[in-house]
Amino acid sequence: MKREIDFVSKNLFFIVVSLVMVTVSLVSIFVKGFNFGVEFTGGSEILLRFEGKRITESELRGILSGISEEFKTARIVRVSSMGDPADVLKYSVVVPKTYASDEKKSLQEKVESLTGGKLVSFNEITGTAAEEIRKGTWTAIVVSFIAMLFYIAIRFRLVYGVAAIIALVHDVVITLGFFSLFGYEINVAAVAALLTLIGYSINDTIVLCDRIRENVKRYRGKSMVSIVNASINEVLARTINSSLTTFIVAFVLLLFAGTVVKPFAFGMTVGVVVGTYSSLYVVSPIVARWGGR
Amino acid sequence: MRADRVRLIVVLLVLAVALVALLWPTKEGFSSKLKLGLDIKGGARIEYLVEIEREVENPSAVVDDVWTVLRNRLDAAGYTEATLKKVFRENNSYIVVEIPGVTDTAQAEALIGSTGVLYFAQVLNEYYGDDPTKIPEYVFEANREKAVWLKGRDGKWYLVRKEIMGRRDLVLEAPRILYARPEVETRVGRYGYKVSFELARDHVAVFERITRALYVPEGTYDPRKRLAIVLDDVVQFAGQVVAVITDGRAEITGNFSLQEAKDLAAILRSGALPARLVKTSAGWVAPLLGRDVVDASLKAGIIGLVLVLVYMVVYYKTMGIVADLALLYNTVLLFGVMALGRFILTLPGIAGIIFTIGTTVDGNIIIYERIKEELRTGKPVKTSIALGFERSFFTLFDANITTILAGLVLYYFGTGTIKGFAITLIIGVMGSMFVNLVLSRVLLDALAPHIKLPKVAETQQGGSQR
Repeated sequence: MKREIDFVSKNLFFIVVSLVMVTVSLVSIFVKGFNFGVEFTGGSEILLRFEGKRITESELRGILSGISEEFKTARIVRVSSMGDPADVLKYSVVVPKTYASDEKKSLQEKVESLTGGKLVSFNEITGTAAEEIRKGTWTAIVVSFIAMLFYIAIRFRLVYGVAAIIALVHDVVITLGFFSLFGYEINVAAVAALLTLIGYSINDTIVLCDRIRENVKRYRGKSMVSIVNASINEVLARTINSSLTTFIVAFVLLLFAGTVVKPFAFGMTVGVVVGTYSSLYVVSPIVARWGGR
Repeated sequence: MRADRVRLIVVLLVLAVALVALLWPTKEGFSSKLKLGLDIKGGARIEYLVEIEREVENPSAVVDDVWTVLRNRLDAAGYTEATLKKVFRENNSYIVVEIPGVTDTAQAEALIGSTGVLYFAQVLNEYYGDDPTKIPEYVFEANREKAVWLKGRDGKWYLVRKEIMGRRDLVLEAPRILYARPEVETRVGRYGYKVSFELARDHVAVFERITRALYVPEGTYDPRKRLAIVLDDVVQFAGQVVAVITDGRAEITGNFSLQEAKDLAAILRSGALPARLVKTSAGWVAPLLGRDVVDASLKAGIIGLVLVLVYMVVYYKTMGIVADLALLYNTVLLFGVMALGRFILTLPGIAGIIFTIGTTVDGNIIIYERIKEELRTGKPVKTSIALGFERSFFTLFDANITTILAGLVLYYFGTGTIKGFAITLIIGVMGSMFVNLVLSRVLLDALAPHIKLPKVAETQQGGSQR
């Protein structure tokens, strides 16, 4: 055999690494919590109306940010109604904050005098995504984990399935932990990134398990540890190339994409790295230890 | 090489279909073929006031119910990417609906559907002709009976009263209907279809009292004891009650055609709203992400894609070109299917596309690494390619099936955006499997003479290529 990298026998070190990462993530999630986007928390919507005055979204953001911090990341969108005259501009400004009625009044005065527009209405809004996401997504994730566990148990062995699910939970927790630690906003796109990560992680795991399954037949009589290690080395080029290509796309997006897309790109970038790591260092030791016959 | 010829034909056919779906000009021009979501392109925005009566104990529960009904309707119409916001202002509750890919607010309102409350009523009289609310004697009759004249779907006018037999305890408004479906009529002497439905438990007792009050033996006709189903001030159906319904499960018979039965079932099922909605404004909303964000992200996506394409060629040479073609092909395919299925592309959908780029490249890499392994053992190129595909088939199969499985679960349980994400995920993964196994095979077989043998094999196997 060619030179091999030993992935399995140093597993104690990586188990410690994983445990530390998971612990740090959980602590951050429970202590620091998440920076939920307005889609989740709800907040206030201010409708501003400008007559005969052209003002862009970024100009408006600049003026409002001077009034209060929360407008820096406000969602500012142009809206229009049927029958609006041509010289009327309307903006909906959404912030994840609610105001008491006296606050509303002073805010209204400041906003109107500084922007030269008229505050048409001050709405309290609920988080739209919160209901949608809470309603089904957690059930969906749990059910899909169970479905994948069954599939892998049938096509491979139960141990492989258990290893895959442990790796998935590991990946989801650590990625969420990164979101919490770095204070990236959790919005709908970030949830999509999290779901994508599940896909990647399971892909990596299956490719590895597939090779282990094949090698168990090929290298009869060898120890499970050496079979697993040989398998990792055989699929290593694939693992690195596949992860690297996705990493490139996600990382470029993280560097250059606009504000709302950033959390998504962040989730993808972290997810690819963690997903690759977990198939090498979480799945393989479990299969090596318990996957023998 | 007959197999390759078949593969090539399939590949070209699929590509043609995808391109036609994407580029076939419509009335609106061809940019509208691929529908873009609210975050990327904006859409129609309609605001409704939820009319809640003062005596209602828990108004926010009513708003929640309205929200759920509308969400289900939009999801069923394929507008999983539409957003529904609950808004509170000056002690009133509003629901703001934003629908992507719709530029016409009238079309948006049609999608949202009925904004009225469905109720059961007693029919007191019927009449065929001009508007009875303009004829004094009919108006007098309506006043005397404390009832209203409403138009029926069949064109007749009906005098109906919400308080059945004039009793307040016999009112059934906004019932929750568990199911309503058309069924084939099986009874002798009848033909066509009937509609069966079931009421939620809390309405069973009222419905039993109502049916008891209006009951007439089958075959008899009592014009003042008919039950009507009213929605949006239209009598959707009126008929005689021939059985007392004690368990909430009822049938509406009328020798309907399949279409009539379907329509009536849809009316019952559409989930009558628990409160009336009053439109307070209709208009448009700009892209939620903002033009600059969309442009920057698009640029970033293209840069990333180009880097991947270059990397593949540098690392895998000839096989890298095949991978790049496969990648581009699958992207066109995905967009084509999305246009064909009238799916809406949003930011989470783009996540699905990036995932597709990943799995397509990954599939090719898995196959190439296999082929390389075979080449290293000294087999000729063509044999190695055949073996490489054969050996990696189940790897790809298992990896992709698990992803599709997860996608299906996500589609089934998720709502709104999550459903949209699941759709792109499933289409993308199926496409990548097709591209990897069929397109890559054709191209690799065609390019086999140009594939360099790895160094180990070259010394052993010289120039054997056939």
